[in-house]
Amino acid sequence: MRIVSAADMEKVSRSGLRKIRPEKPRIAVGLATCGIAVGGMRVYDRIKEIIGEENPDIELARVGCIGYCREEPLVNITIPGKPLVILHRVTPGDAEEIVRAVEKGEVPVEKALCRIPLWDHITGCTQEYGAGFDGIPRYEDVPFFSHQKKVILRNSGLINPEQIDEYIAIGGYAAALKALSGMAPEAIIDEVEKSGLRGRGGAGFPTGLKWRIARNAEGDRKFVICNADEGDPGAYMNRNEMESDPHMVLEGMLIGAYAIGVSEGLIYIRAEYPLAIRRLQTAIGQAREYGLLGKDIFGTGFSFDIGIATGAGAFVCGESTALVASIEGRTGRPHPRPPRLTDPGGGLFGYPTDLNNVESWCNIPVIISKGSEWYAGIGAKGNSGTKVFSLVGKVDRVGLVEVPLGTSLNTIVFTIGNGGAGNKKVKAVQTGGPSGGCIPARLFDTPVDYESLNRIGSIMGSGGIVVMDEDTDMVDIARYFINFAASESCGKCVPCREGLKHTLLILNKILAKKATKKDLEILSDLTETIVATSLCGLGQTAPNPVLTTLAYFRDEYDALVNP
Amino acid sequence: MDERTLDAIIARHDAPAGRLLGILGEIQNQEGYVSRETLEMLSEKVGVRISQLYGLATFYSYFTLRPVGDHVITICMGTACHVKGAVAILEALEGLLGIKSDVTDDGKLSITTIDRKFTVEIARCFGACSMAPVLRIDGNLYGYATPEDLPGILGEYGWKP
Amino acid sequence: MIQQEIPGKPITVTINGKEYRANEGEILLSVAIREKIEIPHLCYEASLDPYGACRLCMVEVVRKGKREMATSCTLRAADGLEVLTDTPEIVKHRSILFELYLAEAPKSDVIRDMAARYGVTRTRFLKRIEQGDPLGNKCVLCGLCVRACSEIMGAGAINFINRGPYTVVNTPYYAPSRDCFGCGACVRVCPTNAIEMEDAGAERVMKSWSGTRVPLSPCECCGRYYAPRELSASVLARLDTPLKEEIARLCPECRGKHIAREEILAKHGGSAKHA
Ligand SMILES: Cc1cc2nc3c(=O)[nH]c(=O)nc-3n(C[C@H](O)[C@H](O)[C@H](O)COP(=O)(O)O)c2cc1C
Ligand code: SF4
Ligand code: SF4
Ligand code: FES
Ligand code: FES
Ligand code: FES
Repeated sequence: MRIVSAADMEKVSRSGLRKIRPEKPRIAVGLATCGIAVGGMRVYDRIKEIIGEENPDIELARVGCIGYCREEPLVNITIPGKPLVILHRVTPGDAEEIVRAVEKGEVPVEKALCRIPLWDHITGCTQEYGAGFDGIPRYEDVPFFSHQKKVILRNSGLINPEQIDEYIAIGGYAAALKALSGMAPEAIIDEVEKSGLRGRGGAGFPTGLKWRIARNAEGDRKFVICNADEGDPGAYMNRNEMESDPHMVLEGMLIGAYAIGVSEGLIYIRAEYPLAIRRLQTAIGQAREYGLLGKDIFGTGFSFDIGIATGAGAFVCGESTALVASIEGRTGRPHPRPPRLTDPGGGLFGYPTDLNNVESWCNIPVIISKGSEWYAGIGAKGNSGTKVFSLVGKVDRVGLVEVPLGTSLNTIVFTIGNGGAGNKKVKAVQTGGPSGGCIPARLFDTPVDYESLNRIGSIMGSGGIVVMDEDTDMVDIARYFINFAASESCGKCVPCREGLKHTLLILNKILAKKATKKDLEILSDLTETIVATSLCGLGQTAPNPVLTTLAYFRDEYDALVNP
Repeated sequence: MDERTLDAIIARHDAPAGRLLGILGEIQNQEGYVSRETLEMLSEKVGVRISQLYGLATFYSYFTLRPVGDHVITICMGTACHVKGAVAILEALEGLLGIKSDVTDDGKLSITTIDRKFTVEIARCFGACSMAPVLRIDGNLYGYATPEDLPGILGEYGWKP
Repeated sequence: MIQQEIPGKPITVTINGKEYRANEGEILLSVAIREKIEIPHLCYEASLDPYGACRLCMVEVVRKGKREMATSCTLRAADGLEVLTDTPEIVKHRSILFELYLAEAPKSDVIRDMAARYGVTRTRFLKRIEQGDPLGNKCVLCGLCVRACSEIMGAGAINFINRGPYTVVNTPYYAPSRDCFGCGACVRVCPTNAIEMEDAGAERVMKSWSGTRVPLSPCECCGRYYAPRELSASVLARLDTPLKEEIARLCPECRGKHIAREEILAKHGGSAKHA
């Protein structure tokens, strides 16, 4: 069936709604990579074993992940007329009890994490689940959730990512319909520009402006690309966005393609994410069936399709020119800019190309749906919207945290994350991965926005926040990152290829207590040159972990260095 | 890899974007490594110089050029796993399997036990960082790993002390 | 992709406070070379696209009173462009880069002399000395040989292998190459004279490239083997008569190199000679 009108959409939406909220109880198991890694699949299989393949009284479903990683595996239960209840730390051994309770219209209260009576999917659908289960804490009262604002993760863990109908049921693709059939491309770009959305891939370049440049670039053939390389080791929000709500990414790209005037799209995704790749493939297939990708979308005459290109394990391929080289079948060695990707001759196969991060694309449907004013009202001035962070390392509540930009590190690490795991004292966080810096706990009142993080020597990056506690050796952390960057350097330019190698040798010498003050001097000279002379962002930012640990944890170096 | 299998893989990747890495990735997934014969055959079939293909196979960490053991154990060395003790996991694994891992001259870490049952490799993040440290055996992820868990996990793959 | 140079309109650029004439869009480094202003460089080659790998050619661009570093081999001349080539900032970073090169290619006289010319005579970094290195511990991975081999000659016999600090240049599997013409274009463009090639009787041996052997054809008059068989056939087919005659006038020692050069000129009209 092809969807061409609001009426068609409505029909699909009703069918989807019946899947999300069937007339019988639904047990939905969180099955993203993370949930599977801690046994979610075994829980699913066990429940299926108990209730049988087709059960007239209970619906069993797979959903994505709501992001409270510490409490995985998560299972949510909807009983008609009652609030949605999230169960946590579910094991196959709990399955029997869960099924028995659900059969009676109950839930196992001791396994319940929280209840959700009402959920706003933002894109035009508010789910009123119902009342009851008063003994279970409300979602808003769970400390991990209470300070979060779910805009990007609005559907994560609540809908089945492999069912396009469910996405449409919560208002999905309505923004695309609105944009393609009722808005001029320029008006969409204006809207994105006014929303203040900045690129979520790290540098924070205004998305609307990039689209405008791409739209105005000369040439008939152009590309849009979604950067799903997610190279920062310790960051996994893009993985969850694609695994839990893949249509959100596709819808964002569809709207962007229409605004820029492009008919070819690609998702460049790392090969280490096989489940995300599969779910995107499924989603693309379903979107094509409904005519939401392909020729003459919504009968507007506009055509657009999306292909998938996989990476092969190279951090540098997240860099724009290396990414394009990689898709073209070459090694990911960056080339000097200009030409930028948006310039004629600079993009994929030489055609002007717009490249945006997964999460940047995810913001588009809500911006179109709710309007730029609504969106700009979230977050801080010049830093509007929310951002998803992966809060990991030695923090008590690990998980995906979505907060308005401008939220302080204190709120993220202490209020939401509950401080160090095992009551240890938090010493620092690393934001921005290998390109970012180590921020000491005394600077945790810093608001997390692009400029404030830069000011203290770090970067926003893609949103990884790795927490370190009193046991973490900061010089070892610096060495870890330099080792990472050195082995991920493409090897094209000498400051990065050779400079990082020697930086690593010096750090090894320091950690072996064989270094002198002189080595520290060489270290700071060398890192300065790497920053100033490297060809691409990898080399230019790789010394940040050394520079910040030297600035904030100098005593740890001094303690290792001979006079 | 036999010619028919390779032809099928090539046929599946007909779009120019992402073609070569897509083909190489499938070869790697199916065979566990990329052999010289396969690479030379591919070079003939797609009309891309062997020097370019060899350059790709050695640049990208996803590809291995040597045959691997029956089971491939991949330890995550991402940041979250590092701070949560991935190095201790690697060392414990080396102890159990009686191997010493070291980067080879191509900069990749991959070592196979003498009986060719296990190959140990490292990866940069599976995106399951919240369960750090994480390891993967033949596609199955194991979160919250401790050195003490290893004998039990390895046992699932036929390892005996 | 090679961008054909269409000379832009005449403009003026300022280098170290002095004005020079240039064409709009021209590479700044080539303006400097023409005007004999010394900017060190290792990976620039007029007949190839700007590559920007060696980072030695960095200069400071002055814009609205602010200074910004940029590689002069990728910088395009525009009217009013102002650059400085020897600021304390540049000297500082350039010196460290030379130290890195001295450690990477400790056996290269070219690097040693070049560094010395810019006042760097020793390195604080650990020198890399590898026994049996096919490139004699002289290679700085400028990439010119790889690019000449594939982009100019179309042979694609050699390439980069591995990544990052493990990167080397050689033939795939370190085995003799079937794609090598034996043209010697790589030898010619290598700024550090790292590549070894030897003519032995009826064969040319690319010693650095895994001992690749290429048959030579004999000179018609004296019978001496002088140029790779396959290559001379393809080049001669393309040359016009005056050039053929010119070749006939050259001494056998120079012919091999000359053929490689003609090939480069025939394809790109640029200068294959490295400064
Ligand atoms: C070494 C390096 C790695 C990068 N890795 C990623 C990545 O994994 N994902 C990403 O979206 N952007 C990455 N970037 C940034 C991209 O080059 C690019 O700026 C971004 O995808 C643009 O999208 P945005 O404007 O939506 O942020 C990386 C940049 C560098 C220099
Ligand atoms: S900075 Fe590093 S990664 Fe970037 S081009 Fe240079 S060597 Fe390659
Ligand atoms: S051999 Fe010479 S030309 Fe080739 S990369 Fe090394 S230094 Fe450059
Ligand atoms: S548990 Fe799924 S993202 Fe963390
Ligand atoms: S850091 Fe190990 S899974 Fe991400
Ligand atoms: S000549 Fe400019 S970077 Fe090498």
